[in-house]
Amino acid sequence: MVESSGLSSMKFFSDQYLSYADILPPREARARIEVSVLNLLRILNSPDPAISDLSLINRKRSNSCINQGILTDVSYVFLSTSFTKSSLTNAKTAKAFVRVWKVMEICFQILLQEKRVTQRELFYKLLCDSPEYFSSQIEVNRSVQDVVALLRCSRYSLGIMASSRGLVAGRLFLQEPDKEAVDCLACGSSGFAISGDLNLLDNTIMRSDARYIIIVEKHAIFHRLVEDRVFNHIPCVFITAKGYPDIATRFFLHRMSTTFPDLPILALVDWNPAGLAILCTFKFGSIRMGLEAYRYACNVKWIGLRGDDLNLIPEESLVPQKPKDSQIAKSLMSSKTLQENYREELSLMIETGKRAEIEALYCHGYDYLGKYIATKIVQGKYI
Amino acid sequence: MEINAPVPKLLLQLISSAFQRCRLAEDLCRLSVLLDLSTDNDPPITPISIADTGIGCNLEEFQDLMCPRQFNGANIWDGLLSVKTTCFSDDEVYYYRVNLDENISNRRVKRQASQAKNGAKFSGTEVSLSVFGSMDVLVAPIIGFFQKVFFLFRILNVTMDLVVKQGTSPGTQTQYVFVVNTEKNPCFTASNLERLKFGLEDYVLRHGNCLDMICDYCFSDREHLKVGSGTACSEENRKRTGGTIDVVIVISDLLETTRHCSRSCDGKTEVLYFDNFSPCPIPQFALSALKKIDWKSYGLVLASVNDQDGHVFLEWENFPSYVQIQITLHWYHNQYPTRQKTQPGINLVKKGIKNALDDLKAKHEGFLLSSHARKICSHVPDLARSIAGLIFSSTDMDFQGDCLSVLGFQAQEVERVAVEDYIQRKIVTVIGMNERKPQKDEESAPFLFFEGESETSYFEDEEIEGEYYSTSLE
Repeated sequence: MVESSGLSSMKFFSDQYLSYADILPPREARARIEVSVLNLLRILNSPDPAISDLSLINRKRSNSCINQGILTDVSYVFLSTSFTKSSLTNAKTAKAFVRVWKVMEICFQILLQEKRVTQRELFYKLLCDSPEYFSSQIEVNRSVQDVVALLRCSRYSLGIMASSRGLVAGRLFLQEPDKEAVDCLACGSSGFAISGDLNLLDNTIMRSDARYIIIVEKHAIFHRLVEDRVFNHIPCVFITAKGYPDIATRFFLHRMSTTFPDLPILALVDWNPAGLAILCTFKFGSIRMGLEAYRYACNVKWIGLRGDDLNLIPEESLVPQKPKDSQIAKSLMSSKTLQENYREELSLMIETGKRAEIEALYCHGYDYLGKYIATKIVQGKYI
Repeated sequence: MEINAPVPKLLLQLISSAFQRCRLAEDLCRLSVLLDLSTDNDPPITPISIADTGIGCNLEEFQDLMCPRQFNGANIWDGLLSVKTTCFSDDEVYYYRVNLDENISNRRVKRQASQAKNGAKFSGTEVSLSVFGSMDVLVAPIIGFFQKVFFLFRILNVTMDLVVKQGTSPGTQTQYVFVVNTEKNPCFTASNLERLKFGLEDYVLRHGNCLDMICDYCFSDREHLKVGSGTACSEENRKRTGGTIDVVIVISDLLETTRHCSRSCDGKTEVLYFDNFSPCPIPQFALSALKKIDWKSYGLVLASVNDQDGHVFLEWENFPSYVQIQITLHWYHNQYPTRQKTQPGINLVKKGIKNALDDLKAKHEGFLLSSHARKICSHVPDLARSIAGLIFSSTDMDFQGDCLSVLGFQAQEVERVAVEDYIQRKIVTVIGMNERKPQKDEESAPFLFFEGESETSYFEDEEIEGEYYSTSLE
């Protein structure tokens, strides 16, 4: 188990119960699968035969804890040691049980061939092989997380590459091994696509003269900022995951933060619970991938849109929230990990029942956005 | 004439008693029934005699004998029996005249002159009577009785025959013989339950003993029958004599050619009932017991119980084709003769049936599973396929070797299909075993990988969330 040094130095009592997924080379991941098979067979063929249950780390809120970074600025969400049991003889979990073995079988073959597949490719392979068990991508993803929780090794170690939605642009030079350096200033208005291959990202050399890293929630805003070359006025790097962050984009962000530890990371999201949720994922990690995600938590600050920006936008841009927003708001509110100032912002959203998109700022002109960001940075108005 | 008609009923009672005597003799015995249809009297009379070489007769049994005198308004019998009997250790053969018409009980049996045995050592009994009317209609019920009982006791030490005399010369005699096949018998000390089992197997394979050999259309061989047996006893006390109920259930997988067989019974289950070694119509309490069994926990759904003149057939819902179930129940007292005949209660019968079902389930993995278990078993082939896939796609020969040796296979000659089958069967067996464990004893199965610590909950389906909007803290 290898943890980045930043986290390992701060081990408090609560961290003893942190459950994590190891990052393993293919041979070791295969070895874990082999051990599972042997254990199952031994117990099945023993004098007191039984079908082993799978103990999977519980990926629910009830098993989640927050590690408040005290001497570091990074807090993260992690999973503790409560388990759920998936048993063949329980009608509710029987199919999920079989799904875990099917995914392990495919991963085993992938690892043997030393390939990597995306979750989408995995879904189609499983759909062909066992259509009765896998009917949707979500089921596949969940089963993959079950395997991660069972074997305690990262998804990437199983040979599964999540496709990345991330884009990066701005004052950054990237050099992948055996390739020429890429200048992210010259990538055009669509930016540079972040690879889904975590190994590759780990070995990419980064160089930058930026002063800030700015996360942008939406692709459209990212596109505008890059096209207007805002990074020439504000020395920064823009990064987006085009919505909810995937692990590769978070990995990349984390690498940037460790390579350039002095650069503040600022987030520009819509003023609604979903936007805040996206920010929190970059900041703390997620429960769903809680065995791995905690490694990539970063000290992200919320620059906008916030409650005190609402006077900048016209009344008409404040539109009612969608039903999904109130669900998200409720769950964010009830989580023990949300810090006080975020909680206040969230309360305002809930009270008004309204939301506002970043595009609302365009009422002041298409180049207003750059000025808005600059002003906020200069005034230090980020939380 | 049906088995319920008075004369056959009387005869069957006498024949049953003869049986009991043979059973207790613990030696090869012979039971003969002679029907003399040749006499020319007007009105016609049929002499009947029942002879056996069992232990000597105990006259008390005649006290309880039901004696039908009339049938459809006509006199059929004068109530007189001639009885000759002797025990092995007796010096004489004793003759008695029994008059069942006599109301005063101690005058019923009159002793007559005995005959000396002159040192010969044998035992046996002969009971003779004459009934009015021509009784050729008796032949069929008696043969039917023999067939039924024969299966019960073919392993018993009794050879049975029925001789029907049509005329005075030997050529006009018809003899039906049911011989014990000494090659295939279990030993004499086999229990009644064992014998019942053996007999029901025969009965099933030969379609009610109508055939001499097993029916080729329907069955491959005896070994493919699935047989379960159970027994329940009631204790003797002041109020009643002790007794035992034996239950045997045979499930046969029929061949496809059963379609051509005229005797197959369409998925219906025949239930046979025996009372003290004698076939009889199923009594009401046994029917109730059958209805009260929790068939669902054995994967069966009882649709109806049909009682046609004492022949009982059970019908099932969604019953698979080419499968046949046959059930037989036998209630008997442990002593002969039994002064006081008692009946088993519903609960005792239920217990016996349940024991037989459990025995069947225990002996045959994956059988008689409840619908819950069967649903789980439907996943097992896929699971076995994945596990076999994992074993055989590995390039690590040590791992493969370890897996195969854990399962008990030799690494060199093994085929993937064989391993997959084995895994499948093993898992199904475990599922069946788990079904039979009483709920409170259920322990958690061992964990596969890491030990679960405190706070283990059952996995429940989470709400499906869109990837986009999954909140970080969810």
